Amino acid sequence: MIKTKNLTFQYNSNGELFHFPDIDLPDEESLLILGKSGIGKTTLLHLIAGLLQPKSGSVTIDNVSLQTLKNKKLDQFIGKHIGLVFQKNYANRSLNVIENLQARLYFSKQKQNKSHIENLLKTLNIIECKTKKINELSEGQLQRLGIALSVVHQPKVILADEPTASLDDDNCKIVLQLLLQQSKLNNANLIVITHDQRVKPMFKNILEL
Amino acid sequence: MNIWKISIKNLFHKPLYTVLSILSLTISIALLISIKQLDTSVKQQFENNLGNIDMVVGAKGSPLQLVLASVLHIDNPTGNIVYKDAKKLARNPLIKTAVPISYGDNYKGYRIVGTTDAFVKLYDVKITKGKDFNKPMEAVLGYDVAQKTRLKLGDTFLSSHGFNDDMGHEHPETFIVVGIFEQTHKVIDRLITTPLESIWDVHNHHSEEDGHAEEGHHHDDEEHHHDEEHHHEEEDNKQITSMLVKFRNPIGLITIPRQVNEKTAMQAAIPKYEMERLFNFTGIGVKAISWIAYIILFISSIIIFINLYKMVKERAFDLALLRTYGASNFQLIKIVAIEGFITSIIAIVFGVSLSQLGLLYIFNVLGKQYQQSIPSTLEFYNVFQIILWVLLVVVVAILFAVIPILKMNVSKILTDEK
Repeated sequence: MIKTKNLTFQYNSNGELFHFPDIDLPDEESLLILGKSGIGKTTLLHLIAGLLQPKSGSVTIDNVSLQTLKNKKLDQFIGKHIGLVFQKNYANRSLNVIENLQARLYFSKQKQNKSHIENLLKTLNIIECKTKKINELSEGQLQRLGIALSVVHQPKVILADEPTASLDDDNCKIVLQLLLQQSKLNNANLIVITHDQRVKPMFKNILEL
Repeated sequence: MNIWKISIKNLFHKPLYTVLSILSLTISIALLISIKQLDTSVKQQFENNLGNIDMVVGAKGSPLQLVLASVLHIDNPTGNIVYKDAKKLARNPLIKTAVPISYGDNYKGYRIVGTTDAFVKLYDVKITKGKDFNKPMEAVLGYDVAQKTRLKLGDTFLSSHGFNDDMGHEHPETFIVVGIFEQTHKVIDRLITTPLESIWDVHNHHSEEDGHAEEGHHHDDEEHHHDEEHHHEEEDNKQITSMLVKFRNPIGLITIPRQVNEKTAMQAAIPKYEMERLFNFTGIGVKAISWIAYIILFISSIIIFINLYKMVKERAFDLALLRTYGASNFQLIKIVAIEGFITSIIAIVFGVSLSQLGLLYIFNVLGKQYQQSIPSTLEFYNVFQIILWVLLVVVVAILFAVIPILKMNVSKILTDEK
């Protein structure tokens, strides 16, 4: 469950002031946020993810207001309850696929259950890459690893920032299906922000900025 | 997976950088330890060799030469003094022990020192095999001499004239080995001791055989003048090379050397003072190499800093990503710090081992040249001090390298990288 209220944000004291509409997303629902570049989509996403502090207003995830959490507690909360997916997928290049997922679980203080990780890799169809280094993966495999990293710790919220921008139509569909499937499996909210009109038909809840 | 594993994986990910960091740090640590240890060992060896000798009295000339020759037995003597004069000085109540020594010959390069039984007291040395000498032509061998020449008790040998093996001809008189000293790592290890009379006898007979016409011919070394007139006179008119003196109390150190230098034909030198002078000369070299080692340490700290800093900068996104995983700033700093410390600990292990191997070789060579085995003294305090320096330098490098982590704006990095 995600709620935002009267969110405003300003990058510096005399910069542009962003106003964001309130969001009220019940459990297990997904939301598509559409908007042109520069309108503050990523800013909104980072506010929800707790990576940025709003000038005013609040973000509440599972009845916990992010604004009441400080430093380490906030780090822990984000790590535990939020999964982020990026347009370009990065993972630690000195670790292999499975080690990256273990590191993800380590930092969010969860059990590094190997069979859980392998099952996830199976559902995402990249189990054959489990001991591969990051630079040995194809674009598509990297995308799937990105999704795996965002859900391996069974978060309450999956936030995806332009996950389909660089993908062709087929892959665009596959990635979104995987994201929706994973959010269902984890009983998590999924919020996707994009300017990509192709994904519109796949969402019930759409917010246009 | 944990922080340690991530740090180690990071190190393996860029093996070239890691090896470069370790290598440069290893070299500086090895240099620092070697130079320090070499310096301490050599100084200690010299000081050891001074034994209980407070003052040495010999012929006028360079005081350093007198000390090198009569105390350390590595240079030629300044000349001879009259035994009678030396004995007169020895009667001074401030003097506790006065040991005459007389030189002239060697056996296979090992110096034969004519002296009295008081000589061993200067070095607190015991005889492990046989007995002390008590008749002319009896000889007690230092430990290294016995080892290298393989002479045993009861063996006889002929001495050669001069201080080096190849300097002169052999004397016809045979010495007999009656004792062998224990190993002391002091100068006595490479000396052959015999009563003063042995030296006088050898040279007197020698002069007789050569005859008057040849006088001086084989004696162009000034220290070997043995006038024909002398050899029938009493012992007191004989000559000795020098006299080693131990004072009863420190006042002797203040008054007697000046007295000797001003009022007699002899020269007094204070071994400790001369050694300090010598170390002041050699100290410049030691200092220069130390500076080079510190400069290398500085450079390797910069290399470590650059490697860590590059890691932090190049992988800013990776690190930001870890922050979204729930990692705290402190955990990220720990990753970088552990990388730095693993590098330095490996370098310390390699550096210390390399220095010990290098020193083993150096001491071996030195020992051969010096004809005496030098104990390599590893001063833990020194090593500890150097390691502390290295760690300090590494800590500073780490601190500078993690500054970007402290200033990291996760949101901005994730946005920019898109």
